[in-house]
Amino acid sequence: MSEYIGLLVISFLSAGIVGLMIFLGSTLGKKDSTPVKLSPFEAGMDPFSLPKGRLAVKFYLTAILFILFDVELVFLYPWAVVYRTLGVLGLVEMGVFLGILMVGFIYAWDNGALEWK
Amino acid sequence: MNRVVLADLGYVVPELILLGMALVLILFARRIRESQAAAIGTVAAAVAAALAAMSGSSAEAQSAFAGMIVVDGYSRFFTVLIAAALALATLLSTQDSDHEAVPRGEYHSLLLLAAVGMMIAVSTPDLLTLYLGLELMTVCSYILVGITRKRQASIEGAIKYFLVASFASAILLYGISLTYGITGATDFTAIASALSEHSLGSNPLLVVAIVLVVCGLAFKVAAVPFHAWAPDAYQGASAPVAAFLAAASKAAGLAALGRVVLAAFGSQAMVLSVILWGLAALSLLAGSIVSMAQTDMKRLLAYSSIAHAGYALLGLLAGTPEGISATMTYAFLYVFMTLGAFGVVVALGERGETLDGYQGLAAQRPAIAGVFLVFLLSLSGFPPTAGFMAKFTVILSAVRTGHVLLAVLAVVCSVISAFVYMRVAVAMFMKEPQQPAPARFPMAVSAALAIAVVVTLMGGVLPGLLLPWAVSP
Repeated sequence: MSEYIGLLVISFLSAGIVGLMIFLGSTLGKKDSTPVKLSPFEAGMDPFSLPKGRLAVKFYLTAILFILFDVELVFLYPWAVVYRTLGVLGLVEMGVFLGILMVGFIYAWDNGALEWK
Repeated sequence: MNRVVLADLGYVVPELILLGMALVLILFARRIRESQAAAIGTVAAAVAAALAAMSGSSAEAQSAFAGMIVVDGYSRFFTVLIAAALALATLLSTQDSDHEAVPRGEYHSLLLLAAVGMMIAVSTPDLLTLYLGLELMTVCSYILVGITRKRQASIEGAIKYFLVASFASAILLYGISLTYGITGATDFTAIASALSEHSLGSNPLLVVAIVLVVCGLAFKVAAVPFHAWAPDAYQGASAPVAAFLAAASKAAGLAALGRVVLAAFGSQAMVLSVILWGLAALSLLAGSIVSMAQTDMKRLLAYSSIAHAGYALLGLLAGTPEGISATMTYAFLYVFMTLGAFGVVVALGERGETLDGYQGLAAQRPAIAGVFLVFLLSLSGFPPTAGFMAKFTVILSAVRTGHVLLAVLAVVCSVISAFVYMRVAVAMFMKEPQQPAPARFPMAVSAALAIAVVVTLMGGVLPGLLLPWAVSP
């Protein structure tokens, strides 16, 4: 169990720091509330809305392309850590993996997924 | 630990060929949208993959990729079968009615990738890789069903298929996780040895795990009560896609189920026989009886494929190497007769979709009516067609292992389904034509039909040809 003590310490530390920040903010901060300031903030979107509106399909394409590169990075990081032990084979495997991902990217590019029109 | 080496790639040459062709087609997708180049490339890749699978002739099982892939007679048999189904379905795809304008490059690369998934699923001795292969297959299938998106039925079929199959995937995964929790392994041999060594057979959780895994796989072979997606998906999909799904994905599902049943849970014969008995009996009954009420040809063939799943399960129920071999024979012959029957639907175009369209076909097009009659006879199991041999071997294996009741049920259902198929034959040969003669269809469709007819007749006349290949793992 001793190896989990660090985890415990960090959770107490983070809880403490967050609590401290909220406490300082609520006691020392200026309070001139407007409805806009009081609304929850999530990247400019309304976080609580019914899923009834229509959304341009190009957002979907962008999200798919984002996933393409996101997945690539998820695999690249651990690969970079053990790169030396994997040797040439690891390089070839990553080349194949990136190659297949790039085929998908080229397909998307070729078919105009990158043009915002 | 087994290191993965580059030489392991030599064991997956068929998959690599199909994958390479799929990537090339995706790269050039925009430039070959209208042409038949994609179809030619796909057939060439499928033939090359089949030859590559057959050329690896060593009889012993070889394992590669740290035990994630195994190449043995069983995997080679199904790899060749899947490649053949891919080639025939591709040939059938050259016939396209104009409202089904499908981008060719994407369509054929999806077919290729689905086939890669099936090949992985049939040649893996590991539950997780099995799941991966089956998912690759089903994800491509969803898109293929919905690819004719101008038609409402296509979208509807794809959505229904997606919802039901995702649910099935979750069930399969839950079963896999329980199996791992009990045995600590995902490898089939390791599961089997863990079950026998630690006397885990009495663990009640094991029953749950086996039920979940088998039911998850039963969705893929569309066995009752996990068949609900099949009629809607086949009806919504274009006929070549429905043919590929009915033939190849069912064969892949049966292969996967066979390997799991024999290699992983072989020691739990009691539990397995109860589940498989139920699945087989329900599929036989529901498939045969419900198909009587169908007026849409693709739905009729869908229910027929559900009944055929029941027959194929009879071999697995036996659990013996002979039983597995009977199921392999069944899967092989079933693939060709189903592709042939769907091929006739493809060839007749719009007219082939409904049962009424077949009225008086023999007077207008005697050749194609005759070809369809061969497939109908084979599907209902008349000698001297392949369907008779296929049914005979599985029913025999069921009788030998003492499942006489089920064997009787299979024979009765065979008679019921004969009524259904003969109804179509009567419409073709004994009714007056109601509609103008169907348009000509491409040479490629004729070629596919010819191959299917030859295999269907050969399988019935010379059944021994297939036996040396149909060896259980």
